[in-house]
Amino acid sequence: MESEIRSRPAFANILVRLTQGDAIVAESDAMASMSSSITLRTRWSGGFLGALLRRVFGGESLFVNEFSTSSRGELVLTQPFPGDIECVELKGQTLYLQAGAFVACEPTVELGVGYAGLSSFIAREGLFRLKLSGRGRVWMGAYGGILSKDIEGEYVVDSSHLVAYEPTVQLKLGLAGSLLTSLLSREGLVMRLRGPGRIYLQTRSIEGLASFVNGYL
Amino acid sequence: MESEIVARPSASAAKLSLDSNETITCEVGAMIAMSTGFSVQTSASKRGGSGLWAGMKRMVAGENFFLNHFTATRPDQTLYLGPVLSGDIVHRRLAGETLIVQGSSWLASGPGVELDTTFQGLGNALFSGESMFWIRCSGHGDLFLNSFGAIYEVNVEESHVVDSGHIVAFDSSLQFSTGKLGDSWLQTFLSGEGLVCHFRGQGKLYCQSHSPPSFGKLLGPMLRAR
Repeated sequence: MESEIRSRPAFANILVRLTQGDAIVAESDAMASMSSSITLRTRWSGGFLGALLRRVFGGESLFVNEFSTSSRGELVLTQPFPGDIECVELKGQTLYLQAGAFVACEPTVELGVGYAGLSSFIAREGLFRLKLSGRGRVWMGAYGGILSKDIEGEYVVDSSHLVAYEPTVQLKLGLAGSLLTSLLSREGLVMRLRGPGRIYLQTRSIEGLASFVNGYL
Repeated sequence: MESEIVARPSASAAKLSLDSNETITCEVGAMIAMSTGFSVQTSASKRGGSGLWAGMKRMVAGENFFLNHFTATRPDQTLYLGPVLSGDIVHRRLAGETLIVQGSSWLASGPGVELDTTFQGLGNALFSGESMFWIRCSGHGDLFLNSFGAIYEVNVEESHVVDSGHIVAFDSSLQFSTGKLGDSWLQTFLSGEGLVCHFRGQGKLYCQSHSPPSFGKLLGPMLRAR
């Protein structure tokens, strides 16, 4: 299966060429256009219970679509907001994705659900998170550009800018500084991550855009 | 007239170079900047026509009632055009063929291009999530279309599926109908794609990488009521 991420970083979208035997799993509503030779199968996102948990506590979609073909065809996958898409190859390791970050993966990748903890819930990142494991390519999307970083010790990330992280990374909710500076700096609550492990960040947040626009309504 | 699309694809603008007496008709509000040798006319239709009806039809297609006509009065004049949303612009030179353009995607065209509003069928309009009326562009000359997101072209040889919200324009040689995605209606509903547009025939299809309704549905609930 050939794939290419086009129009990066502002309007990233994935062009996928499928031949017989290939398949790709995509987030609900990710398909922009496709050849008529491609068919799809809809299934629960991370199993019935997992899908339900993520829907109720994370606001994620219940279903994912698996696209395949008996001949050949092209498929374009996208995300609802402008921004970049990054492809990561899983070789047995696990990756946690924040709500809204999942775009697509190969069918050999297992979609599961993990408990994210109360601090994640308070930071409005969802009580449950999408857990990707196994082998194969994963495509994650972001509003804005995507930065990846390998952290060793503690690292501070503004909540709503975290896109994905490896399971060795511990999440803790914290203040950006002292109580007063946290209030004055408008950074408020932040995520205090503890490595080692790789994290993926987005350079903008949709909540940030919403609060900017709200100021003018 | 010569043209160049700059700042693609996220903040595209069309840079046009016009000679004396050359004219470009564009969407109201599309002018970003221009040199001083232009005469500007505003009307509801093509230059010289009455066009009340044409303007009203254009309004139901999601465009503006009025059109602006920029005519160069001196040689070597430049004009920059851009849409409101961030996104792409594509240039197409029509040579007698007809292009059907999604309501808000028409940006500008030369005087040899006829603009008309066309009805794409009540069923298609109600269920596709697209506008009921489209702009039919025919004749000879330059045509500029804009989008939300990047524009990509698909050469349809037999048939192709496009999710609603991603259509920019298509050759009139293509037949378009709204239908289900996959084998069953249940699947169409569960897949989250909703109804999709099926194109049949041979011709060129212009799609936009991002869907304005999808973005609106995501951002809308985060905004507070006025």
